[in-house]
Amino acid sequence: MAAEPTTAELRALIAEFEPGKGHLVPALHKVQETYGYIMREAIEAVAEQLNTTPALVYGCVSFYDDFRTHPAAKTEISWCSGPACRLKGGDQIRSAMQQTLEVALGGQTEDHGVGFHLGQCIGTCSEAPQVWVNGKVVGDLTVAKAIRLARDLKGSK
Amino acid sequence: MNARLESLIAAAKQAWAAERSSGKVRLTVVLDTSSVARGAEETIAAMRDAIEKQHLNAEVAIAGSWGFCWMEPCVAVRNASGTETVLYANITAERVEEFLQAVVTEGRHVPEWALGVAEGNPTADVPLLADHPFMKGQIRRLMANIGTTDPENIDHYLAHDGYVGFGKALEMDAETIVKEVVDSGLGGRAGGGFPAGRKWDFLRTATTSPRYLVCNADEGDPGAWVNRVLMEGDPHLIIEGMLIAALAGHADAGYVYIRYEYPLSFRRMQIAVQQAYAKGLLGNDILGSGKSFDIVVFRGAGSYVCGEETGLINSIDGHRGMPRIKPPFPAQAGLWNKPTNVNNVESYANAPLILRNGAEWWSSVSTAKEKGTKMFSFSGDVNWQGCVEIPFGPTVRSALEQYAGGMTDGRPCKGFQPGGPLSGVVNGDELDLTLTLDPYRERGLFLGGGGIVFFDDTTCIVDFCNYFLAFCEMESCGRCTTCHGGTQRAVEIIRRIQSGGGRQHDFEAFEQLVKTLVWSNCFHGQFAMTSIKTALKAFREEWIEHIDDKQCRAGVCEGLIEYRVTSQSDAALAEAVAICPTNAIQGESGNYQVADSLCIRCGACVEVAPGAMERRHRFPIEVSQGAAAAAGV
Ligand SMILES: Cc1cc2nc3c(=O)[nH]c(=O)nc-3n(C[C@H](O)[C@H](O)[C@H](O)COP(=O)(O)O)c2cc1C
Ligand code: FES
Repeated sequence: MAAEPTTAELRALIAEFEPGKGHLVPALHKVQETYGYIMREAIEAVAEQLNTTPALVYGCVSFYDDFRTHPAAKTEISWCSGPACRLKGGDQIRSAMQQTLEVALGGQTEDHGVGFHLGQCIGTCSEAPQVWVNGKVVGDLTVAKAIRLARDLKGSK
Repeated sequence: MNARLESLIAAAKQAWAAERSSGKVRLTVVLDTSSVARGAEETIAAMRDAIEKQHLNAEVAIAGSWGFCWMEPCVAVRNASGTETVLYANITAERVEEFLQAVVTEGRHVPEWALGVAEGNPTADVPLLADHPFMKGQIRRLMANIGTTDPENIDHYLAHDGYVGFGKALEMDAETIVKEVVDSGLGGRAGGGFPAGRKWDFLRTATTSPRYLVCNADEGDPGAWVNRVLMEGDPHLIIEGMLIAALAGHADAGYVYIRYEYPLSFRRMQIAVQQAYAKGLLGNDILGSGKSFDIVVFRGAGSYVCGEETGLINSIDGHRGMPRIKPPFPAQAGLWNKPTNVNNVESYANAPLILRNGAEWWSSVSTAKEKGTKMFSFSGDVNWQGCVEIPFGPTVRSALEQYAGGMTDGRPCKGFQPGGPLSGVVNGDELDLTLTLDPYRERGLFLGGGGIVFFDDTTCIVDFCNYFLAFCEMESCGRCTTCHGGTQRAVEIIRRIQSGGGRQHDFEAFEQLVKTLVWSNCFHGQFAMTSIKTALKAFREEWIEHIDDKQCRAGVCEGLIEYRVTSQSDAALAEAVAICPTNAIQGESGNYQVADSLCIRCGACVEVAPGAMERRHRFPIEVSQGAAAAAGV
């Protein structure tokens, strides 16, 4: 992940996008893919590029679950909130992991080491209950396994 | 047929035949989201490594999912002479060495890992794959290529009559294509069942242009992954379907809107679209026909209501993905307020089959009302979490037994969710309902896009409704007070019931919410209460137990259970103390107690020390009955 971009770099990054062509979401994806999150300056740059207002762009950013307005943690855990995982104790896993990590849903540990998010079912329900650690399925969890995983991740700097 | 298409197909067939006569053992590994979760990438790496190091006469290929998602990674082994293909399951990296030794070096079967013979004759030790209980009764039309062809290679699709349906459509006028699709009886596969042909006719007869197609690949219903299996398994089927719809509706461009959570589907669809452009199957003057059509693969960003067709349109347009107020309908004013046709992935994917083989052939399976096959994914407390393609019509019970392998540990089926968080819950005593649309509609439920979730008697219905309502609350777009405020209210009430504060009045409050949420603008709000509404009816006693008796029979609801130390001398007690994430088990050796206010009811202690800890009802039934009796005196 790159360092904080300059306005000129941001403008160059999104130069290909045009107003009125359905380019808002793709432009935001490009910023997030490049820098890991969508910073204030990017919201202004995208608004300028697409001939709209920062309010509209921010309204869109905040609408979707997968746009981030702050840098990602070193390790991002997505907790599967889906039905198969829920039936197998997913909610107990969530509360135990949150307690262990001392994070709110959607938050990060104080040292930005671990982020904890709500994820939606991707159809790997055979691995329920599960979390995704940096996008990789860690399945067949139990509450105790989940606590140990959270402790390991919290301890590793 | 179009001469250029004919030569594309001929070349692809040649390439396919050449690949198949390489004289090497071909190991086709399922590489999709489910198999990656179970280690398919590691399997492939181990195979490549072994082939190189040991100079084995074998090659590795990739394919989409056969549907045996719970037994991935699956590997189809075609012998060097090409006379036989055997499908194997659970070939993890650790098994690769032993596996290759057998199937490549020694050229023999490994019966204990085999699912069946996919191509060739059954042998004494390996039966036909078609006779596997999971495969029997399936009619694989949409999934015909999946598992055998490489989804990232357009030639594999072309070699299997790919784009032949489009080739036929090129020779027909728009009205005739529409008629063929209307005659087939194809209904929308997202769950609504609206005739696809009629929808296409709206586009055909629209009076303005440009016109757009949208392929709805948002597949937001948790527990449904049938669209993903298609996109990751045979993406060209969807592109060809959109091309046919474009000819029928005079569309200029199409969008495939894929949910953010499906990165592999996104990549495979992008590759497929690029390859179709490269072959002249997309873009200007397609195959010299004078017709033009463009496809953009669009990635969502995490929002359930963007699966609602007008929310989706707003999302592409660059607004917040809030469903619009209808009318106008997309056919009148969709993308950029131009005529737009929205269909589900599976709806488009059927069009090539209809055009290729004719409406009559296509509609020969299923029931008098529903036509063609339907894909389903089964999950929850079942033995097999897989994906199938079957006719409409079997009972849920037979599907549960045959395709989901029955309930885990033989427990009773308490109920099921027929298709997403808006679809409601059905009691397990109604397993004789058929997999067709009407019985659900009649009961105020609906059969959705194909994701069916079964649950057993360890499930608390109140907690499960909490899941559905919390989902609806979180995904509400915020437009209607009835929806965002109503779902919030419903969640508050459920949480209070779960924490032991249920009141008689709550039933009325739910009724009130059921009545007011139907006034919401879109289906999301209108159907957000379906789960509670149907669960209140189908599982009434359990709600009464929670509210009146403060009992959670499943032992799930936080305020109605408690944890306690049952043995101070059990050796595992120390582990329970150590695992507790809130340090709620306090005291010293010989005198540990659970500090109830710290306990979050996660159950980790009982898991690690079942002999030292127990979970029990907080308000034993005798006490509350006694209390009730006392109050009555
Ligand atoms: C809240 C909500 C979410 C929806 N999500 C999806 C979805 O993920 N995929 C889908 O195809 N249709 C979804 N739909 C239905 C679409 O609005 C639309 O009816 C469908 O794409 C039409 O396709 P079909 O006629 O081919 O079935 C959703 C509807 C609602 C109200
Ligand atoms: S419910 Fe967790 S992956 Fe489906």
